[in-house]
Amino acid sequence: MENKTMQPTPVQIERENLHRVRFTRPALWVQLVLVACLIAGPLVVPSFRAMDVMTKVMIFAVVAASYDLILGYTGILSLAHVTFFGIGAYSMALVVFHSGQAAWYHIFVAMALAVGISGILAVALAFFSLRVKAIFFTMMSLAFAEFVFILGDQWHDLTMGEDGVSFSLPGIFSVNWSDGTFLGATLNGRLVTYYFILAASVILFIGLVRFVRSPVGRVLKSVRDNEQRSTALGYKTFHYKVLSNVFGSVVASLAGVLFAMWLGYVNPTSVLGIPVMLNVLLMVIIGGMGTLYGSIMGAAFIQVAEAWLPDLQKLAVLLLPTVEVAQRLAERWILYFGILFILVVIFFPKGLVGTARDMIARRKLRLAQRDH
Amino acid sequence: MTTQTATAGLQEHGGMDTKKLGVWIASVGIWFLPLLWIDPTTYAVLTVAGLAMGMLIFLTASGLTLIFGLMDVLNLAHGAFFVWGAYVGFSILNGLQQIGWVEGAGAAQSIGSVVLCLLAALVVGGLMGIVLEKMLVRLTYGSHLKQILITMGASLILVEILKVVWSPNDEVVTVPQAFQGSWIVMDVIITKFRVAAIVVGALVLAGIQLVMMRTKLGIIVRAGVENKEVVETLGYNIRRVFTGVFCAGAALAAVGGTMWSIFKEQIHPAMGEENLIFALIVVIIGGMGSVTGSFLGAIMVGLAYNYVAYTLPPLALGANIMIMAVILLIRPTGLMGKE
Repeated sequence: MENKTMQPTPVQIERENLHRVRFTRPALWVQLVLVACLIAGPLVVPSFRAMDVMTKVMIFAVVAASYDLILGYTGILSLAHVTFFGIGAYSMALVVFHSGQAAWYHIFVAMALAVGISGILAVALAFFSLRVKAIFFTMMSLAFAEFVFILGDQWHDLTMGEDGVSFSLPGIFSVNWSDGTFLGATLNGRLVTYYFILAASVILFIGLVRFVRSPVGRVLKSVRDNEQRSTALGYKTFHYKVLSNVFGSVVASLAGVLFAMWLGYVNPTSVLGIPVMLNVLLMVIIGGMGTLYGSIMGAAFIQVAEAWLPDLQKLAVLLLPTVEVAQRLAERWILYFGILFILVVIFFPKGLVGTARDMIARRKLRLAQRDH
Repeated sequence: MTTQTATAGLQEHGGMDTKKLGVWIASVGIWFLPLLWIDPTTYAVLTVAGLAMGMLIFLTASGLTLIFGLMDVLNLAHGAFFVWGAYVGFSILNGLQQIGWVEGAGAAQSIGSVVLCLLAALVVGGLMGIVLEKMLVRLTYGSHLKQILITMGASLILVEILKVVWSPNDEVVTVPQAFQGSWIVMDVIITKFRVAAIVVGALVLAGIQLVMMRTKLGIIVRAGVENKEVVETLGYNIRRVFTGVFCAGAALAAVGGTMWSIFKEQIHPAMGEENLIFALIVVIIGGMGSVTGSFLGAIMVGLAYNYVAYTLPPLALGANIMIMAVILLIRPTGLMGKE
């Protein structure tokens, strides 16, 4: 018990502080309210479209947060993150599809497959390219992502090519399953799947939060901030980088399983395409890199925009019925994503949560100075 | 003592040379390996096709590698320049069709219309490069993440505008009369435009090498790749050089796009992205910043793609990624890359 006599280290002090305020932090209440809203959501607003957007927000919040672990906490720019998400989605779809009849254990087989395949691939990718310059990894991961996309697109016997795979979920998750009402809402497969996905994404998200707050997470931040220094302190930075990459990829693949469960259909463009990767990247940037919680806001922003931006076309038809160019421009809603990309990078590089944290810190500093 | 070390050094040097020779023989010999399962005539056809494809990929990759080497910018908008070049060429060909320079044209007119297409693509690509560099890329020097985001965003915007200006669907490109069809040399079918592609590629390679090795501009660019600060202290405006290289790279990508569209005889808006992947693989194989490296890489990728596409079509791109992985295992910085 030597520690008692020793001075506590800064890390210990910080942990102590966090521990003391863990029930009184405003952030905790925000989180609880958010989860409560998501639980109550489908009961209060019984619209399928709203439920669809909420589910996608949950799933993509997990994907973006796991990407944030790699990008924001470790400082590695991978463009193959969505590939792991797609591997998860495809393992779910293909396990059910190729076994003919869906059974309840298929979900767990798919999860095990997703974790196994993406774990191995993530290790391989990291070993090939993380040793050299970081930018190399980015390019390698882009080539890898494109390769897997082409595999999904062309390997017709396994993946059904670009037509994609549709499948039905087993038992109570099945769309056809229905059993009376529950608190006023029809209790059907959709609702059960929704709550399953909610529970799973909350667990995955908490897992990510615990990971970045663990001692390993602290080393990852030091790698991001000053790799040479952490090497000098005796950490094998390469191992930590591989670990963060693998953990993030595995979480993304599990989110992919959830995504496939929700849609009941996967195709290469929707789960493996580079545009999906860009969306996830944009979610992390909008929310703020290295904040984890930012990815929830980023995911919400992008998913809501994606759900309602295509309506812009109808608006254009309504407002400018004679200007054909305006309609054609409105039709191309990816264009606005591109503009958003550039605007965010130039004017808002810290994202929502990052900027908010900066403001809070500045205010605290000002208050402290005034008290002083 | 001195003589001893000198001889030791010489011997070591000699040893290196044997090793180098072995590497050269192995790396040339490996390209004859497909002869084991492909008959010689087909092999010759595939080789010509592979060389042509390699030359075309080189057009895109050379700009990418120079931009990366000099400016340390990973330009993901390169595919957008490529596809814009393809569509501009397509429009020019459509226009020339009206005055009979495409279908049913003589040799001189056919060559003239292809040259016109290439010039138009060169101008459009170059202008787009200048605008993009001055407006956006300039804001992001030093941060790879920002560069990737901003060039990705620019790429999305450019491709979407292209879909508005032309159409989001596939289009068929009419090849000028003199480049249609093929010659048959000793049972080997040689498509005419492939030869044209090889010639254009070789000209561009010669041009780049000439500029880089024999002109003052080339010296400044090469010095900039080595050390930007020193070039600046010598009184050169490195920013201006950056803009110039970015412009040249974009123009080359656009020329590559035009050539590619005539080569494939069809265009679609996603072709830029597809080609960017080839160019990236080539740049990684060749070593970032090296024009010679990207040339070797492009030829390798073009040949391997054609041999594998003939034997096992779905694996063609996979073979290129395998080559990349193997080369990175042996030389982590690519063929000609600096440590």
